[in-house]
Amino acid sequence: MKTARPVVAGIDAGGTMTDTILVDEFGTFTIGKAATTPQLESIGFLESAIEASDYRGIAIEDMFASVEVVLYTGTGMLNVLLSRTGRNIGLITNKGIEDMVLMGRGLQSWGDYSYADRLHAVTHHHPPPLVTRRNTHGVTGRMDHMGDEIIPLYEHEVEQAVNTLLDKEVDVICICFLFSQVNPSHEILAEGIARTILTRRKAKTELLCSHQVRPVIREQSRLNSLLIEAYATGGGRKQLKSIEKVARENGYRYGVQTLQSFGGLTSINHPNLHETMVSGPIGGVLGARYISQIIENDSLVVSDLGGTSFDMGIISKGQIRIDQEPLIGRFKLNLPLIAMDTIGAGAGMHVKVDPLTKKVSLGPESAGSEPGPICFDKGNLVPTICDCNAILGRLNPDYFLGGKVKLNVDLAYEKFRETCADILGVDNVYDVAEGMINMLDSEAGVALRRMLSAQGIHPSEYTLLSYGGSGPLHLGGYSRGIGFKDIITFQFAAAFSAFGCTTADFQKRFSRSVHLDIPLDASFMDLQETVLTINNIWGDLKNKALEQMVSEGHTADQIGFQPFLLMRYTGQLEDVEVYSPIDTINSANELNRVIATFRNIYKNINRSVSDYGQTSVSVMEMGMIASVEKIKPRLKKSKLGKSKPEKRAYKGHREVYFNSKWEKTQLWEMDEILPGNEIRGPAIIEHPATTLVIHPGDEVFMDEWSMLHYRHQE
Amino acid sequence: MNNQLREEYKLLVEGQLPWSQTKNLMSSYKDRDRFFKILEIYQDKVEWDEKILLPIGEHLFIVQKGNQRIVKCTCGHEFGDYRKNWKFQSALLVRDKVEDLESIYPHSDVCDPSWMEIREFICPGCGTLLEIEACSPGYPITFDFCPDLEGFYSEWLNHPL
Repeated sequence: MKTARPVVAGIDAGGTMTDTILVDEFGTFTIGKAATTPQLESIGFLESAIEASDYRGIAIEDMFASVEVVLYTGTGMLNVLLSRTGRNIGLITNKGIEDMVLMGRGLQSWGDYSYADRLHAVTHHHPPPLVTRRNTHGVTGRMDHMGDEIIPLYEHEVEQAVNTLLDKEVDVICICFLFSQVNPSHEILAEGIARTILTRRKAKTELLCSHQVRPVIREQSRLNSLLIEAYATGGGRKQLKSIEKVARENGYRYGVQTLQSFGGLTSINHPNLHETMVSGPIGGVLGARYISQIIENDSLVVSDLGGTSFDMGIISKGQIRIDQEPLIGRFKLNLPLIAMDTIGAGAGMHVKVDPLTKKVSLGPESAGSEPGPICFDKGNLVPTICDCNAILGRLNPDYFLGGKVKLNVDLAYEKFRETCADILGVDNVYDVAEGMINMLDSEAGVALRRMLSAQGIHPSEYTLLSYGGSGPLHLGGYSRGIGFKDIITFQFAAAFSAFGCTTADFQKRFSRSVHLDIPLDASFMDLQETVLTINNIWGDLKNKALEQMVSEGHTADQIGFQPFLLMRYTGQLEDVEVYSPIDTINSANELNRVIATFRNIYKNINRSVSDYGQTSVSVMEMGMIASVEKIKPRLKKSKLGKSKPEKRAYKGHREVYFNSKWEKTQLWEMDEILPGNEIRGPAIIEHPATTLVIHPGDEVFMDEWSMLHYRHQE
Repeated sequence: MNNQLREEYKLLVEGQLPWSQTKNLMSSYKDRDRFFKILEIYQDKVEWDEKILLPIGEHLFIVQKGNQRIVKCTCGHEFGDYRKNWKFQSALLVRDKVEDLESIYPHSDVCDPSWMEIREFICPGCGTLLEIEACSPGYPITFDFCPDLEGFYSEWLNHPL
């Protein structure tokens, strides 16, 4: 098996670590890990790829020469946005709304804060604007919400604005007018004027219009999407290009792919690159969708515990929730993103005790990969959850990242005693460390319960997937008592997000805002008219998608199309994404089939009691997804062997602290555990990239797909 | 106080600390003696020796001078007993004409001076603008703050005054 050639390399650069997963034609994985290097991501990318190749026993050049897809999801664009190192942009908008950028949305001033900071208004702070007020020019002209012209566009004002912005040497000119998603004619006119001036002045300035970037309702979000595309994608694309360059230099023959936030793969030359800005965490949900087919349960809860955050998502009856207006880098965008709930909780999280009140708290800061926890011995002196795990013997000091990082447990103990245990006045440092870990576990557990109850879901129907570098380390703790149908983790838990990304297909998603009310008593003629509108829009979007897919090298006959609609019961505020069961709607009856699909999905998401019965529906957005299948990793199925693990898997034992006492704990090597094996806690299964802790009395079983099932003691 | 912390608090006092760090300070626990650390920084910044008891403005402090407690400006100008309104000892500029108001709000609408005036209290020693009042003409000058120094030190700081 070791000679099989790798075909897919998935690389996921997270906030702390960059994970590489190499998948061969038989579906075997190897995983590499290296610290993320935000300044020049290609360094971390290459190191992590080298490590994955090393584990496989092949040279990096052979790996790159062999793979057919290199898929990279990174943080480059987000970093450009957060560090405000993007391009200098100018904005032309309607007269009277020039301050929209400065005023922003209220929730942008606290959106990503911890609960405590949200409550304390003194900490609220609007994100610094991406375009200055001086570079924002209002021009007279107005379109109403139906797309009718109320005031014609004053062309001389557009000319004046363009000239002023060119004098100021901006890199990009953005044009965003009210209701351009309904009628873009003013934007098109202004763009034409600007282009003429650019040609005349021989300027290299780029032009971007909101109806091209995202013709979707909600002005502030459309404006934010436009500005971020203009501001951040330059630097982000540079990072991606540098990744591609490194891959090519090492023998890779094709273009590097990246992932859009709704779950589709695309080339790094994708025009609206801001759609790929947040893609790392969603890999887990894609992976879960893939796993759901294997375990034959299409209702899953995913949980990803890394160094800095705990991300959770839900797949209900095969339906992935899409957030249509997420908050990214503290900006509201109308960008479809696979919905994930996130809390600041991770193994790198600082643990602190207030010297005044003795209140214990986790985070919100985290040690990151540099300098890392105290036990990394790189200068950090604030204890973290990782240090607590090291103190309690749950982490192997000589086998962290396969022994690459030696953990200085004594130093961690000393500092933890000084800054936490002593202040609390507790002599037994181990009890305090275990308490900290319990706190993290219960915060994560409470977050899971909160998400489940908000969705009206009963956990007994759902399988919990746990992954992320620290997922298996805390799985036993945070899943306790919730009552999931099954709890699964993986040998490759640390790279599950990267694995999930490799299961994605090439996809493009185009959509347009509409407003079609379909009353219950609609006449036949009305329905016919609606059908016609729907088909026209789908036709347009299909052509656009086809054109872009072909331009990226796919052939027309490979491309599959999936039309979709965002629908709601008339008068509601939230949409439901409905994949149309038919490609074109040819009759009123077929339209009713689509409406029936909507009702079903609505019921699945919101439970059957929520059915509205006889109510009109509205279509708010229509779209088209074009996809081309990609080679995917396959999980290997093996025969179940005996329940006792092989001798070579046994690594000895260590004293580990559980429930306020030291327990003699068996140690196992993850890669040597075989299907059918059962291990009873207290035990620890070690892997270079992760550690699975089995609490006393609990049990882990490996199934025929090499997935690890965690069973709590009855 | 270590040097790093001193530097951070110094920037905070000067209004130069970057927002991310300021926010971190706001969101994390306060050190027990933060008040005295800040006093230490103020004390280093001024050129006079009287002990600062309480800052009451960006440039004003209540200080211990002999057995008196007086209000003193960064520049050294003294305003007398802290229990009396220091504003009465300051130089006062009242903007109650349109042109005076427009000189600070150019190219903008200004208030109607018959409804509102702006009073600027200035240090006679160094000319620094210490405080501003925006109020209707004839409104008495406000006494911003007469702290209970003894109570604050004994009950809040647990420290002799």
